[in-house]
Amino acid sequence: MIDPLAITLVLVGGLIVLLAVGAPVSISIALPSAVAMFMILGVDNGAITSAQQMFRGANSFALLAIPFFVLAGVIMNNGGIAERLINFARVLVGRTPAPLTQTNVIANAIFGSVSGSAVATAAAVGSTMAPMQRREGYDRAFSAAANVASAPTGMLIPPSNTLIIYSLAAGGTSVGALFMAGYLPGILWAIACAAVVWVYARKHPELKGDPRPSFGVIFSTFVKALPSLGLIVVAIGGIVAGFFTPTEGAAIAVVYSLLLSFAYRSIHVRELPRILYDACRTSSIVIFLIAVSGIMGYVMAYARLPQLIADALFGWTDSKVVVLLIMMAILLVIGIPLDPTPAILIFVPIFLPIAISYGVDPVHFGIMMVFNLSIAVISPPSAPVLFVGAQVSEARLEPVIRHLMPFFIVLIGVLFIVVFVPEISLWLPQLLGLL
Amino acid sequence: MTAILNGLSRVLHAICVALFAALVLLVVWQVFTRLVLNDPSPWTEEAARFTFVWVSLIGIAIATGEKADVVMDFLVEKLPRSLQRVADIIAYLCTLTFALVVMVFGGLHQVTLAWTQTNPVLPFTQGQLYLALPISGFLLSLFLIVHIVGALSRAYVGHIPQEDEEAASL
Amino acid sequence: AGGNGNGGEAKHVLRVAFNQDINHPQAQALTELSDKLSAATDGQYSLQLYTDETLGDQASTIEQVQSGTIDLSVVAGSLLENFEPDFAVVNLPYVYDSPEQQMKVLNDPQIMGDLYDAVLDDNIKVLTAYHGGVRNVYSSKGPVKEPADLKSQKIRVIGSDTNVEMMKLMGGIGTPMAQGEVYTAIQSGVLDGAENNELIYSTLSHDEIAPYYSYTKHLMMPDYLIASPKVWDGMDKETQETFTKLLSESVDTELDLFAKAVDKAKAESEKAGAKFNDADVDAFREATKPLIDSKVTTDRTKAIYDAIQKSRG
Ligand code: NA
Ligand code: NA
Repeated sequence: MIDPLAITLVLVGGLIVLLAVGAPVSISIALPSAVAMFMILGVDNGAITSAQQMFRGANSFALLAIPFFVLAGVIMNNGGIAERLINFARVLVGRTPAPLTQTNVIANAIFGSVSGSAVATAAAVGSTMAPMQRREGYDRAFSAAANVASAPTGMLIPPSNTLIIYSLAAGGTSVGALFMAGYLPGILWAIACAAVVWVYARKHPELKGDPRPSFGVIFSTFVKALPSLGLIVVAIGGIVAGFFTPTEGAAIAVVYSLLLSFAYRSIHVRELPRILYDACRTSSIVIFLIAVSGIMGYVMAYARLPQLIADALFGWTDSKVVVLLIMMAILLVIGIPLDPTPAILIFVPIFLPIAISYGVDPVHFGIMMVFNLSIAVISPPSAPVLFVGAQVSEARLEPVIRHLMPFFIVLIGVLFIVVFVPEISLWLPQLLGLL
Repeated sequence: MTAILNGLSRVLHAICVALFAALVLLVVWQVFTRLVLNDPSPWTEEAARFTFVWVSLIGIAIATGEKADVVMDFLVEKLPRSLQRVADIIAYLCTLTFALVVMVFGGLHQVTLAWTQTNPVLPFTQGQLYLALPISGFLLSLFLIVHIVGALSRAYVGHIPQEDEEAASL
Repeated sequence: AGGNGNGGEAKHVLRVAFNQDINHPQAQALTELSDKLSAATDGQYSLQLYTDETLGDQASTIEQVQSGTIDLSVVAGSLLENFEPDFAVVNLPYVYDSPEQQMKVLNDPQIMGDLYDAVLDDNIKVLTAYHGGVRNVYSSKGPVKEPADLKSQKIRVIGSDTNVEMMKLMGGIGTPMAQGEVYTAIQSGVLDGAENNELIYSTLSHDEIAPYYSYTKHLMMPDYLIASPKVWDGMDKETQETFTKLLSESVDTELDLFAKAVDKAKAESEKAGAKFNDADVDAFREATKPLIDSKVTTDRTKAIYDAIQKSRG
């Protein structure tokens, strides 16, 4: 028989113990999940089901964007494409304090809105911005934290696969309405990150903004950046104009940046294996984490832990505010080891009917859920975005986590606003007649 | 022993690089067949997904070999070296257990079960495609055994506190 | 959401994986089946549904049934082709007259028994076939009334050579793509449309971006309720008989619920701005004929195909 308490103890206790002895984060999720699986199904069936779920966790076309964008990032750095792009962005927004970090935040919002993947965004933009920030004396852990914190913006700003999955799990809530509802919360997310960076920069006078550039400088930077801007035209433009899907756009970005680097003669064919290998290693670590978190998601679903948690927690109150707060707290915690997709598939059928019974609009609920899970995808210890962000910045995890804290506090504050001010989500879709 | 492992590592590098390059080409080909040839290929997506899983699983084995996987050792590095050794060995044994029981044993089970299940568009059976998991588990185990031997050896240096490392890399 | 069954009293709570939500006609039919089964066996047997793909996609749940991790799963007919290619014959375009005929044929052991037994080796016991809707073409470009209307339209199809070939014969360009990417692909113009039943069309909000739904009626693919043979063999004779009888009732229930769900989905899609139109079904049937000739080649598939044709109204 399944003992939910024992399983919860194994999952949580195992995670803490393994992290403490310095086991890889992925193994700290994987081994306790596998042990829980053995407890439920026996070792034979537990092992095979764990293997199945691991394979299934990695076997997704959407995840392919991750290695591609990591690779494109590495190539752009080696090829000087990134530098030209950032120099151009810098003459435009360079007067704010900590201009490179602010550029990173804005680039993540734009890039993320198109790619829709927080990990891919952190990889692509971060691997481009981090080396430049490091060279100019920015604290690498802080710049990594800013990159990580602003990477999930695109999960809210449409198009967003996460919102599509919510629509599916919610039994057909309008995707169009969800997309429109995501805009303002997504923009709020980006503003929150920019504000934290601004406060940090005020305390670090060495990160002061650039002087106003002359028109000549702006023009020459623009001309130098033109071929590099082509990358944005080709990759982002191609996705928006309907030539290819975001995942395919990532592969096209690889090819374009490679051709451009050859044209600049900044990358030699001999260097390609090393570049491919670097990208492969970084993305493998992230994919492995996503794969093993599939085991945990399965164990929880099989043992019906989410239902039990919900039953235990919602029994004693009938206050809408308390119920929503409990839901948000559960999602915030559960979203840390789980990827947003399984988290949505598991929790929407349990939470949404309760929320609706309290008069919450399903579109609004979708936005608060995705906002919440977007905070979870950057939460330590187990966050693919955090891993990739630290990797591309060559920063260690602990200092990055320390610098992430102010971002968390502010983002959780914004989450409260999104939860308790439905108009932020619903105003735009209502304006457009979608609700 | 080390020579064999270095050789193995180099072969795995080459496989990863080749598969990764193939992955890019597959997706580009998918776009090309749809946009230019107007005859979308039915097999590229499936092929790309499985290539991707293979690259990732072989990649994680090499990453583990290079000790590149993400750990949080801020507690361990405060311990005396003798206890660091103990913690390291426990951590390696945990990873080894997972690799052997789930990836090799569970993975081989899964391979056997699906050995004759055909794939709708690829010329491999599902079982053959699943081989990535036990193979990766086997490679991981090899590298982990080497790490365990290293942690037991006299040359074990322990964890370098982070300040030193940051300073050293600047 | 998906839970039911009789809690503590039931000795055998069979775990059923299901990939859509609890309101889907198949989930509703299974819920009713569970109640009846529990009543008929004095609480000895009941079903516990895991809806919304929480135990994985359908392909993965087949493997879980094979290994005995779960007891039952509802899976798309096309997936069983990976275990026995002859299953393809019942998934071809324009094989059936009506959902009723489809269910009669597919649940007739005389016609299908031999094929269903063919996957017992793979640890798959087909318990019953359920109606899974009629697939029609929908597009962002305009109504599709005849094959010429599909010219140079990229239509998302299930990822297999057969489906790509079918769409080519129907006049369009069959484009396999993961279901999760289809909405944005149609919105941005990577795709011009897709093909599916009214429930999926409405649930996935595809009515918002491809508002022309044309009744080409080209495919009627069944879903199967499968079990691990061990689960079935573990029941005594009497329970098996009861279960079989209730399964057969649930097929009718599901058929009825599906028709109602289609009406409801259609109304909702119309509210979202979708327009439904008829198409020249005969022209499309004629166009896809070569596919049938090329796929119905073995003795078993010929026998099944002929039996289905004979039972047409
Ligand atoms: Na987006
Ligand atoms: Na997470």
